[in-house]
Amino acid sequence: MTKRSVTHATFVIERDYAHPPAKVFAAFAHPASKAKWFVGPENWDKSNHKLDFRVGGKESVSGGPPGGAVHYYNAEIWEITQNERIVSSYEMHMNEKRTSVSLATMEFKPNGAGTKLVLTEQGAFLDGIDNAAERERGTNELLNQLATYLNT
Amino acid sequence: MTKLAHTTIVMERTYNASAARVFAAWADVEARKRWSAPADGIRIEYEEADFREGGRDVSRCIEPGNADYVATVTYIDIRKDERIVFAEDVTHGGKRVSAALISMALTPQVSATHLALTLQIASFDEAGMEQGYQFGWNAALDNLAKEFAQ
Repeated sequence: MTKRSVTHATFVIERDYAHPPAKVFAAFAHPASKAKWFVGPENWDKSNHKLDFRVGGKESVSGGPPGGAVHYYNAEIWEITQNERIVSSYEMHMNEKRTSVSLATMEFKPNGAGTKLVLTEQGAFLDGIDNAAERERGTNELLNQLATYLNT
Repeated sequence: MTKLAHTTIVMERTYNASAARVFAAWADVEARKRWSAPADGIRIEYEEADFREGGRDVSRCIEPGNADYVATVTYIDIRKDERIVFAEDVTHGGKRVSAALISMALTPQVSATHLALTLQIASFDEAGMEQGYQFGWNAALDNLAKEFAQ
């Protein structure tokens, strides 16, 4: 039997984007936009992104390296303030195992002509499979992909 | 827009009951109605109760003279007799005041069970909801001990 454990951790990532809050927010709100940057590394199998962007709506995506473990992301949106913030909870699975559950808050703050994005993740990491440092690294990669997407 | 605040609160208790009994008091909605009301004069009513992974609860905390607090819960991870992880949002008078991720973990001890409750909260009303969570859950966990009294 798996040894049960829960490790709680919070991290905050701040990013400055040279685009107004409405544009950065839209990259989270529009399914076709989010699917462009909210994906695994280039060599991963193609993901199947679904987003129903409304309070109570769900989001899901899965993917993984060819022949390797499949990672699943399943989210529920709890709070939306247009162009200002999004609060969601999400769980991650690796194959059949649930590895974490998180509360994720995005705040979009005007910063000159651009936007300061403040991401706060309050995570519960289950059974020692994943950890906050790895999640923070992965989240930073996604925000790099967001920057690339916004600049194209 | 109200200011957003993030906080984590941990509460611990040890109950003179088996992990199976403590878990059952969380799984059973009738038991939960008894112990989760934080004070005399406050009652909890469930509009929906579906204790399973992916299931949803909607409960109303009713106090005369105050607008109802309505909590909507999604159960995300349930391990029988071991732990429950759920997300919830709370509205007060129709206005959303918080979202939270809540983990309850049980560890068996010699003829007792240790309970650790971790509340990871994003609150939309400055310190108000943080105090609300402190008060409400501390009272509920104290009440829970009464479930196991003979």
